[in-house]
Amino acid sequence: MKLAILYGTETGNAEMLAEDLTAELEGANEVDCHNLADFAPADFAPDTFYLLICSTYGDGELPASAQPFAEVMEAEKPDLSAIHFAIFGMGDSEYDETFNHGPKRLAELMAAHGANQIGDRIAHDASGADMAEDLAFPWAEAVIEMAQDTVGEAA
Amino acid sequence: MSGQVAIVGAGPSGCYLAQALLKAQPDLIVDLIDRLPVPYGLVRYGVAADHQGTKGVTRQFARLFERQGARFFGNVAVGEAITLDALRAAYDVVVLAAGLSVDRPLGIPGSDLPGVIGAGRLTRSLYEHPDADALPDLGPRPLIIGNGNVAIDLLRLLAKTPEELEGSDLGAGPTKWLERQAIEEITITGRSPAAQAKFDAVMIKELAKLAGVTIRVIGAGASDDPAEQKKIDALLALDGIATGPRRVTFRFGLTPLGVEGADRAEAVHFTSPAGEETLPCSSVLTAIGFDPAADLPRDALVSLAADAEAGVLAPGLYAAGWFRRGPRGTIPDNRADAQALAGAILTDLAPDPSRQGAAVLAALPDVTDYTGWTRIDSAETATARPGRCRSKIATRDAMLSIARKDHGDAP
Repeated sequence: MKLAILYGTETGNAEMLAEDLTAELEGANEVDCHNLADFAPADFAPDTFYLLICSTYGDGELPASAQPFAEVMEAEKPDLSAIHFAIFGMGDSEYDETFNHGPKRLAELMAAHGANQIGDRIAHDASGADMAEDLAFPWAEAVIEMAQDTVGEAA
Repeated sequence: MSGQVAIVGAGPSGCYLAQALLKAQPDLIVDLIDRLPVPYGLVRYGVAADHQGTKGVTRQFARLFERQGARFFGNVAVGEAITLDALRAAYDVVVLAAGLSVDRPLGIPGSDLPGVIGAGRLTRSLYEHPDADALPDLGPRPLIIGNGNVAIDLLRLLAKTPEELEGSDLGAGPTKWLERQAIEEITITGRSPAAQAKFDAVMIKELAKLAGVTIRVIGAGASDDPAEQKKIDALLALDGIATGPRRVTFRFGLTPLGVEGADRAEAVHFTSPAGEETLPCSSVLTAIGFDPAADLPRDALVSLAADAEAGVLAPGLYAAGWFRRGPRGTIPDNRADAQALAGAILTDLAPDPSRQGAAVLAALPDVTDYTGWTRIDSAETATARPGRCRSKIATRDAMLSIARKDHGDAP
């Protein structure tokens, strides 16, 4: 099973976490890391497990680097029913009404095109006490374990 | 020889620029120079004390120095300790990312009365900038002029109860000062209708959580434009909130004509489409934009610029962030700008190995480095009081003394 980390970022915090997670995982796994702004939905592959990292920006919107991806998804409507992903969200509970709405939107966008989510959507809070990587590393380990038997089955 | 870049100003724009430059070309020499002994500029002294999540970008900036090879030269005032020309002679590229720190003046009769206070001046005092003035008395009824995010930050800080400041880095002195003001009423006025106010809707929504206020929104109007209506809706959702005794009133379409008062500000006289009106107050806080400080000749540089819009001032001299674009745009807006500017700089870059680089700074007194900042940072977090995440070192002398500690102790 290959791994691909896709990140949507606005301030660079999600990008930094994606790079850290790539470094953490690449010893034991084949792993690529892409900005969602540079990733074409046509490139989703069934033998790859996608780890999405996404922040929230403005009034609960997708971060800037995820917006072109969302536009292409909506225009091309790819069939992602053989695709598996997990998603890690970053937000700031200071803005509680829209807390982690960016990753929620991204997860819904993936699901709307048939993609299969593995594990729960985890939310890091920038106003909380935890470091993002302290939540993200165990999350990645857990979802990779959960995905072992499923990803690529249909391929 | 890969080129030497000096960035004047280690705030978010300068740091994002350094990040983009080093990502594209890891062997580049990138030196961040700041007039303060500590880095991060606006993130430390402008971003509100209760917006610690926003301040989280400093984790990225720390990487610059810890992993990407950028160097920090603090306590160096370009334009004073070293001339801009000397810096340009020493580096292949100099980028001015010094921000805009001077409050734009109100420029109406009475605006020089005591009790008329710029938002920049007040936030520097509140957030313990080492060059800040003493905190001024606001009295029980401050009136804010301005409708941008800076004005909303100030409103929120002043409206909060002591409990709501838990987890912030508001200092002991400013915390006591805030309680002493015993604020009863805050009025915030904008020149434009609410539809054209410059604040972000999310900043308004955040106010709905305030725990000790009674909010009125007067004359928010309506708009056919969805983005404008979103702001109006956010405002209307605040109207009628009653969680406590401190009154907060939003007014729009008020153009100030004069500040009135015998020996300090006591009222502001406005004109509006509905006629003239005088609002009594105990102080006037202006948040109507920022102008450059006098140390760098920004206006002259921009007027002579080869391509001011792209940030190219002259060969080898660039401008980034608010210093380039003016006082508009958030931290991530300036990240996008910095990434574009990094591309332009690297395209133009023609390294000259005879340039002396950071050696030009070697003779300057009391220059701090990143290691010095990590000592200050550790001291500040280690001494944080209950309910606070940090206790800022507030004077230059104390910063320098902590930054120097252990120097020469290495084995």
